[in-house]
Amino acid sequence: MPRGRIVAPSPLPGFGLTFGFTAFFLSAVILLPLAALVIRALEIPPGELLRLLVDERALASYRLSFGAAALAAAINAVFGFVVAWSLVRYDFPGRRLLDTIIDLPFALPTAVSGIALATVFSPSGWLGERLALAGVQVAYTRLGVVVALVLIGLPFVVRAVQPALVEVHRDLEDAAESLGAGGFNVFRRIILPTVLPALATGFTLAFARGIGEYGSIIFISGNLPFETEITPLLIVTRLEQFDYAGAAALGFFMLATSFVMLLAINAVQGWGQRRLGLGVAR
Amino acid sequence: MSIALDQVTKRYQSLPVVNDVSLEIGDGELLVLLGPSGGGKSTLLRAIAGLVEIDHGRVSLHGRDVTAVAARDRGVGFVFQHYALFRHMSVAENIEFALRVRRMNRADRLARRRELLKLIALEDMDERMPAQLSGGQQQRVAVARALAHRPEVLLLDEPFGALDAKIREELRRTIRRIQRELGISTILVTHDQDEAFAMADRIGVMHQGRLLEVGSPDDLYARPRTRFVATFLGAANLLLGYRCGNELQFERPADEAVTAREIVAVIRPEEVELTSGEPTSGLTRVGSGVVEELQFAGATERLRVRMTLEAGPIPATPDREGADGNSWLLDASRTFPEQRARPLATGQRVTVSARRIHNLPTPISSFTVIARDAAVAAALNDSPFLSTLAARMQTRITTRTTRTASAPPGMPVLAAGPGASAAALWNLAHGTSQVLILPVGAELPSRIVVLPGAEAGVEFLGVAASLLRHIPAESVLLGIHDGTTPARERASCLRILLEARARAQVEHQLDLRTELRFGDLDEELARQLDVDLSSMLVLGLDTLGKAETARLAGLIEGPRLRPVLLVHSPAGSD
Repeated sequence: MPRGRIVAPSPLPGFGLTFGFTAFFLSAVILLPLAALVIRALEIPPGELLRLLVDERALASYRLSFGAAALAAAINAVFGFVVAWSLVRYDFPGRRLLDTIIDLPFALPTAVSGIALATVFSPSGWLGERLALAGVQVAYTRLGVVVALVLIGLPFVVRAVQPALVEVHRDLEDAAESLGAGGFNVFRRIILPTVLPALATGFTLAFARGIGEYGSIIFISGNLPFETEITPLLIVTRLEQFDYAGAAALGFFMLATSFVMLLAINAVQGWGQRRLGLGVAR
Repeated sequence: MSIALDQVTKRYQSLPVVNDVSLEIGDGELLVLLGPSGGGKSTLLRAIAGLVEIDHGRVSLHGRDVTAVAARDRGVGFVFQHYALFRHMSVAENIEFALRVRRMNRADRLARRRELLKLIALEDMDERMPAQLSGGQQQRVAVARALAHRPEVLLLDEPFGALDAKIREELRRTIRRIQRELGISTILVTHDQDEAFAMADRIGVMHQGRLLEVGSPDDLYARPRTRFVATFLGAANLLLGYRCGNELQFERPADEAVTAREIVAVIRPEEVELTSGEPTSGLTRVGSGVVEELQFAGATERLRVRMTLEAGPIPATPDREGADGNSWLLDASRTFPEQRARPLATGQRVTVSARRIHNLPTPISSFTVIARDAAVAAALNDSPFLSTLAARMQTRITTRTTRTASAPPGMPVLAAGPGASAAALWNLAHGTSQVLILPVGAELPSRIVVLPGAEAGVEFLGVAASLLRHIPAESVLLGIHDGTTPARERASCLRILLEARARAQVEHQLDLRTELRFGDLDEELARQLDVDLSSMLVLGLDTLGKAETARLAGLIEGPRLRPVLLVHSPAGSD
């Protein structure tokens, strides 16, 4: 297709109408509000904007948001892989039920998960009480944030890895085995490399989701400034204090981050396809 | 022997998919396992590679028993139908995989890779990814990968199945050349007979889990031993023939009193001669018919001749394509020069004769249900046992409800129950040596107990083999001796049994498991039959004395009825 020209790829009529609607819809719902945010943030003088972005409290919230999201995504990469493996490779009673439950964090309002977690992990809660005896406190600590993000991020990893695992055909493992590879070698050299791009995608998705997560965290984190305050919560706090400039600055920063994450996800997927030799001219 | 299989059995959900397969493959030999899909050949191949665990039997590679050895330590090369290349690795990495897991150093790996790429004529393709190669190239890489660790055995599972015809041909030659160059013992699995003919030193035909026949391609084609192989390898007309003395004729003997032996004759289409007048002298006349179809096929012409049942021969296979109640189609083919010399047209009446006729050594040519009562005859006819067996054996069932002077030329089938033993004995005394006795509504058995008489003659084993080939059931060759047999004679009892097994293997290419028991014959036999609810008995009788008659009555007149195949071979008849 020549660059810069719009070509109707299908003989079906209505291309102009649907394309126009798409453009309008995307503008109204996505581009317009985002543009408003960017404009609002850019109205702040650059020095002031920088000050708002690197203020001590904001920095602490970045550390928590990014750190906890990265840690939770890493935990999910490992356990999500195990879950996906057992769902794909084994048949056991209740497999379909388990497969459905994986999606629960997707479907549940995040506030509900947050309250549920807070109830279970609070010092008087069912799990919190027992953990307190062992000297571990989950609720109202950074650990609580990580726990909430593990819950939210799990389906992203499982759903990304599952189809990739299905793709690892039995023949590939048989081939590796007949060539002299033991179980560990088959896993390390065949299964893991084949699944790796999907795993990376899952990790990035879980990480991106973790940075922006709000509802499930605020009940369990305790929201102590400098300690357990996540960036989205800080935005809310600033709004409540009528600090619109501060809120817009942080919002601008989160938007930029999201954009970078999107690019990263695309890059990871492209890398995965190139790795398997797909998308390369034959 | 490079590869030796001994009674290899693999079951899925208690059904044997590979059933007592024994086979030996010599150094540097290429054996093709041929058969329809679902015949168990791929499972057998995987069992040899160790990718499938077997339930019974032994696999040896170069004299080493590897039955309990893991796939990775068996030193075989395996090539899959869909290549199974590692897609995240380059051609070089794929080929070097086996060397890498063996921790070979870099320089040696590189040297070996160069060597292999040269062998498969894909030099300078090292850094390509599998997705950048064509199907044929991918399969060649897969072959190189399978050979990298210098395996002693190469196993190929339908390696050309996913390729188009032209590439297939080319790859066949490449693989055959490599196999000859390396002198590596190879098994190739395919369902394509052209492929088998083009590549094989020997062909083994597998069907329903059993290895039916093994032999050189020309031998299997010219002298098949079973109907299945006769019709699976190339086209064949199977006809019922009647041998009276040394004379072979295709008309059913009109006089029932003449004891003619019924046989199954194989006539290949290219051995059929069609003439408008009398046949060329020296050829066997088969019958006459009307040319129904003429098909030009390049070098040859394919013809179909409609033959009537009334006037001419009876096909051994009743429900062939184009057959109706009164007539059937005979396949013939002619070369171009023949066609030019004697042109034929559709609708023309021709005399059919055969240049070469091969008699199948199968002892079961057809079944004749004998019952006084037409309803019982119909019930026997429709029983799953008989209808399935006849369909699988591609053989004919006829019914007889009137009294005759002699047993029918085919195998008599009687209903079990009161009076069965008298009827069976009458048939055995009047011109037949085998009788099948079925309970009405009998199902195919899942276990077959084979109990020969004192002498397990070749004829008895032949009948047993013929039956067993068509029933995918567990089978056991039983030897029962008196419980008072002194210990020093027991060894010779075992020898007799193993000799019978060896004879079945050599003469009929059928492998049987053996069991030797000491005790009361009737009790031990009952115990063996009761192992499985659905079992049948193949019983050999040398003499028809009082004890045998009583035993027979117990077995076929109730109270527990099961299919029984009786084979009477009087001592010294072999």
